[in-house]
Amino acid sequence: MEFGPGFWGPIVATIVMLLGAVFAYLMLLGSRRIAKVRPSIAKRSTYGCGEEVKPEEVTADSEQFYSPIRRVFKPFYRYIQPGHSGKLNTYLLWVVIGFVVLMVAIALVLR
Amino acid sequence: MNVDYIVAMLMISFGLYCLLIKRNLIKMVIGLEILTFGIHLFLISMGYREGGIAPIVTSTNPASVVATMGVDPLPQALVLTSIVIDVCVTAMLLSLAIYAYKHYKTLDTSELRRLKG
Amino acid sequence: MIEAAPILAIIIPLMGSFLTPLISILTKRYKKERIRDLFVVAIVIVTLLLVLHMLPTVWSGNIIVYRLGNWTPPWGICLAIDGLNILVALIVSGIAALVSIYSLMYMKNDTGLEKYYTLLLLLLASMMGVTLTGDFFNLFVFFEIMSVSAYALVAFRRNWDSIEASIKYMVIGSLGASLVLLGISFTYSLVGSLNIADIAQKISIIGTNPLPPVLILILALLMTGFCIKIAMVPFHAWMPDAYQAAPSAVAALFAAGTTTVGVYVMLRIIYILFGVAALGVMLIVLGSVTMVVGALMALVQRDLKRLLAYSGISQVGYILLGVGFGTALGIEGGLFHLLNNAIYKALLFMCAGAIFYRVGTCNLDELGGLSKNMPITAGLFTIGALAISGVPPFNGFASKWTIYIAGIQAGKAFFTLLAIIVSVLTLAYLLKAINAIFLGQRPKRFENVKEAPMTMIFPMMFLAVLCIVLGVLPSLGIDIVSPAYNALTNQHGYIRAVLGGI
Repeated sequence: MEFGPGFWGPIVATIVMLLGAVFAYLMLLGSRRIAKVRPSIAKRSTYGCGEEVKPEEVTADSEQFYSPIRRVFKPFYRYIQPGHSGKLNTYLLWVVIGFVVLMVAIALVLR
Repeated sequence: MNVDYIVAMLMISFGLYCLLIKRNLIKMVIGLEILTFGIHLFLISMGYREGGIAPIVTSTNPASVVATMGVDPLPQALVLTSIVIDVCVTAMLLSLAIYAYKHYKTLDTSELRRLKG
Repeated sequence: MIEAAPILAIIIPLMGSFLTPLISILTKRYKKERIRDLFVVAIVIVTLLLVLHMLPTVWSGNIIVYRLGNWTPPWGICLAIDGLNILVALIVSGIAALVSIYSLMYMKNDTGLEKYYTLLLLLLASMMGVTLTGDFFNLFVFFEIMSVSAYALVAFRRNWDSIEASIKYMVIGSLGASLVLLGISFTYSLVGSLNIADIAQKISIIGTNPLPPVLILILALLMTGFCIKIAMVPFHAWMPDAYQAAPSAVAALFAAGTTTVGVYVMLRIIYILFGVAALGVMLIVLGSVTMVVGALMALVQRDLKRLLAYSGISQVGYILLGVGFGTALGIEGGLFHLLNNAIYKALLFMCAGAIFYRVGTCNLDELGGLSKNMPITAGLFTIGALAISGVPPFNGFASKWTIYIAGIQAGKAFFTLLAIIVSVLTLAYLLKAINAIFLGQRPKRFENVKEAPMTMIFPMMFLAVLCIVLGVLPSLGIDIVSPAYNALTNQHGYIRAVLGGI
């Protein structure tokens, strides 16, 4: 595809990516043959600050997973996310407000 | 200002008010019904002609008389179709209300919010 | 070409949905329920073959017009098929065929399956009806049939969450349909006709330079009603609940079918019916808001299907952004993104269904480490996730790249930057989902989870292969989409073909 400045050749790019992936895999195999790595069990399990952690409990909480991004977009998560409260009447109010906003926007664009 | 249009707009706004403010599910269904009936009334009264006759061709009213003096039959056909659709939707809403009472023990829509976020 | 192919594409699924309960009674007596399932798959494949049969005629530039009962329009109902119609019909019937093959195994544990298949065929018939028709009130009737089948399919499992999701979807959807009916009645009072080509001709005679004020009200009512169906912000509130509670096969059909049909109706109304292509600016703003809200809400979800639903809302924002740019490249990018969205959204929902079928839960906090048990599903989910984020060499990259270039060429660099940021956020939440489901440590109770059955893997693999093919050869995608672009900007050709020599 080419439009404007620049050129994107999908077939060429796919072949280059596949060659890169094959090359990286060959490097991985070669390095495993040269230096054998055998870490102990303690090194491979999750560190639980000295306590024993069962595999079931080793998950990151899905809601707080991206807490840095939540801090960046704080106004959104303080005002708009609680708006999705689950009550049906709130959602219907949104529809009516959206209709009025659409009417004003169409009047502004088409005049 | 035709009185039909004023009544239709009043019915639409009453239905919308009922849908937004009331919290009982059955009252919301009634509000939706009033809204739909207002739209049907508006649609029919748009085809009205002053001093018109029914659009049926009989031996005393040949086609030419019906064409010049009859009311418009097309909105009436549209409203018949829409009434049938409305009956289906109301029946399904009421059966869902029965299931909701069985699961939640209440019909208050501000209690029906276990799925949120 | 079969003369009656357009009407057969609507009638055959409709007749099939009426025959399914009868066939179900017969097969239940002889204890061979598989025959009913295979009958449904056969009907859907026949519909797909009919649509493929109409493809060469429409792609060579003709507009197929079929008059019901030989009444000439505008006094009769006609079906008018141009490039835009056939693209949407192809997407809808293709995805419906794959979903019906998928639900052969997926719905094995549910009872009352004859009602499920009846509703599925009714949904397909009504979607084909909305797509192929050329009459405005006929579109409204088929749109209502589609909505009612959707409400019933969401509530299919009759759990507490299905009932609650269906009630919310039903009340909001009925309000939207009533507003559409009000818009149609205002249109009838303005021009006195209900045929799409006839309304287009009469409104272009009235003209938009001294704009009749009722046209603003009509456009606002119609857009509100149809934007509820495609889940644009702020009308999107029903969508996460409905997609979370519906069976996954049905959710795949909704995300790929009803959303595509809703976007088609909006494009038909804005570009051909009223001819107000100047509304593109409003579509850009609404599309950007939809993109951002969908992506930011998806970052904090706990449930896999709810996350995929918010992701769908975000992708619809991309489509509206691309179409709103107004240039040839922008509209082609938006329509190409419509095609791609159907493919990878259906793939992701089918993978979520495979996980739910084998494990029993979709909660991200309880899953983990399933890539050793379900390697094929993990690979296909990763392909879908990379495609939706716009990573080369998959098809998402091709359509998003077209939209970015179109945005820069149209001079709207701020919205292009917003689209790139949202694309990065898309990759973020999908990587969170992949990490929570497939990587990491596996809990003890998932030791014996097996791979998904072959009947479910086959449609997913077909969609993944389509992802890769459309990504490596994007010119193929642009070739599929350019008849739709030509049809969208050719209002006079449409009017002339439908109204003939009148």
